[in-house]
Amino acid sequence: MIDSKQASEALAEIDDMVQRVRRSRVYDIASQMMILWGALVFAGNIATWLQPREGYPIWLAVYVLGLAGSFAISASRQAKTGVRGFDRRMFVAFLLCIAFGYFCALVLGHFSPRQQGAFWTIYFMLFYALAGLWLAYAFVAIAVCITMLTLVGYYFVAGDAFVPWMAVVNGVGLIGGGLWMRRS
Amino acid sequence: MAELDDIIHQPLRLKIMAALNSLPATAAGLEFSRLKKLTGATDGNLGAHIETLAKAGYVSVEKAFVGKKPQTTVTATAAGRGAFARHVATLQEIIAGRQG
Repeated sequence: MIDSKQASEALAEIDDMVQRVRRSRVYDIASQMMILWGALVFAGNIATWLQPREGYPIWLAVYVLGLAGSFAISASRQAKTGVRGFDRRMFVAFLLCIAFGYFCALVLGHFSPRQQGAFWTIYFMLFYALAGLWLAYAFVAIAVCITMLTLVGYYFVAGDAFVPWMAVVNGVGLIGGGLWMRRS
Repeated sequence: MAELDDIIHQPLRLKIMAALNSLPATAAGLEFSRLKKLTGATDGNLGAHIETLAKAGYVSVEKAFVGKKPQTTVTATAAGRGAFARHVATLQEIIAGRQG
């Protein structure tokens, strides 16, 4: 028979493993969603760069495709793990975030396209960082990197080159972050 | 007085059972490669301990091909979940001073 110290160590080992599995499952579903959103954001930025007057329909399409893809990934992971990653509450939360963002950017602020490019990225990265405080610190690291590179572009990348800069920083950044999470 | 389960109590098997039991009963289990990463065990060591758990009826092992790659999935059985729950309860009793 073991003593209470050994029993405590065994329970701590169990708890550590439960946390590892939980983090692994968060990374698994989050990595797929980040790769999806990274590809869409990359395409959205490049399309906006090529057709600047079509910005609103382009980004509406990005959001609709992103949400549909997020639901599809969540449903496929639910079949495998028994856990749903993107549910109705998250959908409503996403809509509220978008609504508040539009209110800030277009009603209160009247942001220019360049300001919007920086604002939306930093705004979404704020939620990544906040989620990371509860789920996994990798989200915080990814959010901080993308936010810093967005600000570098906003202040130092002149003219139209800012949009492809954002395609790389935000789109490729999310894809890279997703691939990094998948390997972790 | 409850007894510790010797099959589960071995350190690596404890990790395997903890990982599998943290999944919902309806989940498909964990792939061998994922378990290897989570536990930090070598292929041979992990395989041997999974076999011990499978012989005890605590886990089921399913081998399939995903595309052209073979994939081994390990799932906790109902008996395994019950044994693990009893093992954890015994550990908690020991800490509470009712045993040991």
